[in-house]
Amino acid sequence: MGVTKEQVESALRSKFSPSHLEVVDTSGGCGASFKVEIVSEQFEGKRLLERHRMVNGALADEMKDIHALSITKVLTPDQWNKQQQSQTSQPVA
Amino acid sequence: MARALSSMLLKGFRSMEYSRTTASASGSFLQQRMRFSSSVPNDSDTHDDFKPTNKLENSEITLKDIVEQDIKDNHVMLYMKGDPEQPRCGFSSLAVRVLSEYRVPIHSRNILEDPELKNAVKAFSMWPTFPQVFINGEFIGGSDIILNMHQNGELKEKLKTSSSE
Repeated sequence: MGVTKEQVESALRSKFSPSHLEVVDTSGGCGASFKVEIVSEQFEGKRLLERHRMVNGALADEMKDIHALSITKVLTPDQWNKQQQSQTSQPVA
Repeated sequence: MARALSSMLLKGFRSMEYSRTTASASGSFLQQRMRFSSSVPNDSDTHDDFKPTNKLENSEITLKDIVEQDIKDNHVMLYMKGDPEQPRCGFSSLAVRVLSEYRVPIHSRNILEDPELKNAVKAFSMWPTFPQVFINGEFIGGSDIILNMHQNGELKEKLKTSSSE
């Protein structure tokens, strides 16, 4: 069956030790569609495409049962801090 | 029958530059796809008439070659679910909307109509999902990346560099 939000989170945590991670199940509960925000030092010096590949790779097993994975943010801690400062109105997780 | 096969290739391909003529470069390309199609065993639709007659006969033409040709020939190549006029998925729709902002010709193939092509594109880009955007032969990414690059100005720069040399 579907993948849980917790499975996605734990896979990402173990691979990236993220300083910020937010996984939202956008499938309405069936676990087929997720939105991910992730901040990790491991993305330092990597292009956006490479970062997405890293995330996709970390979720390779889960991807078999996920129809849609939207990676809205994949940032380094520096980039994340800058975004937080410039968008103070944005809710902080 | 030939028309049926060539429409198989053109099925899902949206472009102003491609035509059904068999004399052009895209014509030989059609035959490559036809060879691939006719190699399917036990296909009741196959007929001797459709055996390849050109020198490509013994070459290993694969769907990968078709993808390579697509991205070589087209400044912006989009593999998507549905077509730009009628996307069949929110993410494909998003990619079309973003790319349309730049008023550049968008060439696309509907991967829902061809599971083999779908797998070939995935293997080629090593990317698991659709849509997939290629600009100047380079794999750019899916809808998240396109949206991100649209927002930070990188997409504009990418599209500026013309493929014409």
